[in-house]
Amino acid sequence: MTFAPRLTGSSRPARRSVLAIAALSGALVVTACSPSTTGTSGSGGEGGDGKVTLTVWSWRVEDQAAYTRIFDAYEKAHPDVTIDVKAFKATEYNKILATGLAGANGPDVPQVRSYGQLQGTVAGKSLLPLDGKVDLSGWDDNVVASAKGKEDGKTYSVPLARQTVQMFYNQGLFDKNGLKAPTTWAEFIAANDRLLAAGVTPIAVGAKDDWTLPIVHEVLAAPRFGGKAFQGEVLSGKKTFTDPDWVGSVQVVGELAKYMPKNVTGVAQTDAQTLFSAERAAMIPGGSFDLSVFQKANPGMKIGIFQVPPAPGSPSGSTATTAGWADGNFAVSARSKHPAEATELVTWMTSKEFGQMVTDDIKQISAVPGVEPTDPLLKQMSDSYASSGSPYLLLTDFRYGAPSGTDLLGKGLQELLLGSKDAAEVSQDLDAGVKTWFKPTA
Amino acid sequence: MRRRTGLVFVAPALALFAVFVLYPMVTAFSYAFFQWQGTTRGAFAGLENFATLFTKAPFTTDLPRAVLHNVLFFVGTLLIQNTIGLTIAYLLHSRPRTRRMLQTLYAMPYLVSPIVIGYLWTLLLSPTFGPVNTLLTGLGLESWALPWLGDPKTALWVVILVSVWQWIGFPVLLYGAALGGVPEELTEAARVDGASNRQAFSRITLPLLVPAVGTVSVLTFIFAMEAFALPYAFGGSTGNPAGATDFVSLLFYRTAFDSGAADAIGSSSALATLLFLLIFGGAYVATAVLRRHERRITA
Repeated sequence: MTFAPRLTGSSRPARRSVLAIAALSGALVVTACSPSTTGTSGSGGEGGDGKVTLTVWSWRVEDQAAYTRIFDAYEKAHPDVTIDVKAFKATEYNKILATGLAGANGPDVPQVRSYGQLQGTVAGKSLLPLDGKVDLSGWDDNVVASAKGKEDGKTYSVPLARQTVQMFYNQGLFDKNGLKAPTTWAEFIAANDRLLAAGVTPIAVGAKDDWTLPIVHEVLAAPRFGGKAFQGEVLSGKKTFTDPDWVGSVQVVGELAKYMPKNVTGVAQTDAQTLFSAERAAMIPGGSFDLSVFQKANPGMKIGIFQVPPAPGSPSGSTATTAGWADGNFAVSARSKHPAEATELVTWMTSKEFGQMVTDDIKQISAVPGVEPTDPLLKQMSDSYASSGSPYLLLTDFRYGAPSGTDLLGKGLQELLLGSKDAAEVSQDLDAGVKTWFKPTA
Repeated sequence: MRRRTGLVFVAPALALFAVFVLYPMVTAFSYAFFQWQGTTRGAFAGLENFATLFTKAPFTTDLPRAVLHNVLFFVGTLLIQNTIGLTIAYLLHSRPRTRRMLQTLYAMPYLVSPIVIGYLWTLLLSPTFGPVNTLLTGLGLESWALPWLGDPKTALWVVILVSVWQWIGFPVLLYGAALGGVPEELTEAARVDGASNRQAFSRITLPLLVPAVGTVSVLTFIFAMEAFALPYAFGGSTGNPAGATDFVSLLFYRTAFDSGAADAIGSSSALATLLFLLIFGGAYVATAVLRRHERRITA
C-alpha cells in the first residue's frame, strides 16, 4: 500500500525557513562583533549660550549620584562647562565603550580600564595622550603604571582610586569566640580551628566565580611567594611561576580549603558575601570596593580588617602585605569635540579637592597622594598599603596578553579546589600560559 | 504589476534588514581578514586571524573544549527534548479538552529570558542557600546534595537539563501540530486490520512525524551551536567552573569584549565567521538529508 498524506512540518517552504533561520542565527553572531560606523565627534555639544557640555561615561551605576554631586562642584567653578554623567552596567561597559569610542556618540571623558586592559583602547588611538598636561609626579609607581600605554610609555588616563585586598573579619564573632586579629600564622590557623569548632564558617570564599580566586590567593598567600620582591624577580626573568615559593603560595590556598564553605566551587561570590553579611562566616578575603557592600548589607555588624600573616616557608624577610592596584581611571577621547575642556576636567581629577570627594562620596581610596580617607577602615587599608603594600601582581603585570594571569590562576585554583590538579600543575599551567606572550625585561 | 506591489510591501523590512543585519554582517566578515589595533583597521591579514584560532593560546585549548561542549549540549538537548517533547505531545493529543491549557503551561518557561532562568536556577541550586540541596538533605539524601554548578561533572548537565526544561514547550507545540496533521483514517484503518496502539504509533504515526522531528532537530542544532544566554547566566563568560560550561559564543564574547587584546576584533570576527559557517553548513547538510528521507517516505 502506498499513500501520500500531507506531511506536517515538511513542506519546502518550511525547509527553506529552517535554512534561513540558520543563516540568520549565524549572521547575528557575526554581527555582534561589528563595530559601529565611525564618526568624528564626541557627544558633548555646545549650547547656544556658549556653554560646553562634556559627557562622562562610567561603569559604576551605583555611584552615578555621587559623581553628579562631585561634578556639580566642578561646574560651579567652571560656569561654562556642563557635565553629563552616564553610567552603564559594568559587565556591558567594555562593549559599550568600544563602540562609543569608535562612533559619533561616544563620551568626551570615558572611564577606562587600567594596566593591560587599557592597551586595546590605546592601540586603537581612541585616547589622547596626557603627557605634559597632567602631572602624576609623586604618585605611587604602581598606580601610575595603570595609566600608561605599554608600547609608547605615554600617560593616557588619570587614576581614580587605589584598590586594596585584605581579610575582612566580623569583630563580633571574633569577640564571641575569644579571638583577635591574628598576627602570626599559628594564631591565624588557631582562629580558623576555633571558629570551625564553633559551627561558624571561618573563611567565606565564592570559588564558583573564578575571578575572585586570584584575590583570595593574594590575600591568603602573598607573603608566601614574596610579595613585591617576587614581582621584580619574575618580571626580570630571574624567577618564573614554577618557582617553589610561588607553588607553595598556591598550596596555601589548597591547605586552607577546609576552612572554606563546603562544596566551595559551587558557592557564588554573592553567596559568600551573604554568608559574611549574615554573620554565618567570620572572615572573607575581599577588596576595598567590597567595604560599602558589607556596610550596607549589615549596618550593625562591626567589621575589622587584617593582613594575613606569612605562611610557613615564606622567603626570609617576607612580611604580611596589602596588595593593591589602581582602578577606575578617566581619560580623554580622541574624538572629543572639546579636548581642551575635557583635558582640564581630567587635570582637575589629579587635585586633592577631587580626591577628597572620591573618598568621602564614593567611599574609595583616592589615587591622589596625600588624600586621607575619612572612613576609618578605608584609612586602615590605605595606611597598610602605604606602609607594606605590594602590587596585585597578576593584575598589574600579567594582563597585557591572552591568556591573562588572573584568568589562568582563577581556573587553576578552581581545579586545585576540585582536586583535579595539584599546586605544581596549577603553577605550571600559569607559567606556560603567560609565557605565550610575556617577555621578561632582562 | 503584482510583483512590483509585493516589492513595495517588502521594501521597508528589507531596508531595515540590510542596514542592521546584512551590512554589519558583511563588514564583520571582512574584519576577519584584517589586522586590528583596537578599533583601528590595519593591513590585510589574509587567513592569519583564522590561523590564530588553531595555533595560539588560549584558543588551542579553549576552542576544542568549547566546540565539544556545544556538541554535547546539542546531543543532550536533542535526545532529551525530542523524547520527552514527543511523549508529552502524544499524551496531550489524546486529551483534547485539556490540551490547549497544558500546551500553554509547558510553553510558559520560554516566555522568560534565559538570563533570568539561569539566575533563578543558580539560586535554587546554590549549595549554601539553595532549596534543592536543603530539600535533599532534609529527605536524608545528603549524598545527593551536590555542588551542581560547582562540579565539572554535573555543571554541563545542569545547563542541558534546565535548557530542556525551559524549551520543552516548543517541541510539544510542534509535535502537537504535526500529530494533528496525521490523518486519523490511517490509524483507524490500521486498528481495523488488528494493529495495537503501539504498532499504530511506531508503524504509522512516527514515520509521518519524521519531518517534524527533523525540523526540531535542525532548530535544536542552531539553538545549541549559538547557545549563550543560559551558559552565561550559569557560569559567566569564562564557563565556570574550570571551563566546564564554556561554549563557542562565550569564547567569542570574552575574546571580543573581555580580553582587552589589541587585535580582539580580528580574532573574534574570525571566530564568529567560523561559527556562522558551522551553523549554516550543519543546518544545510541536515536539511539535505531530511529532504532525501522525506522524498523516500512520500514516494
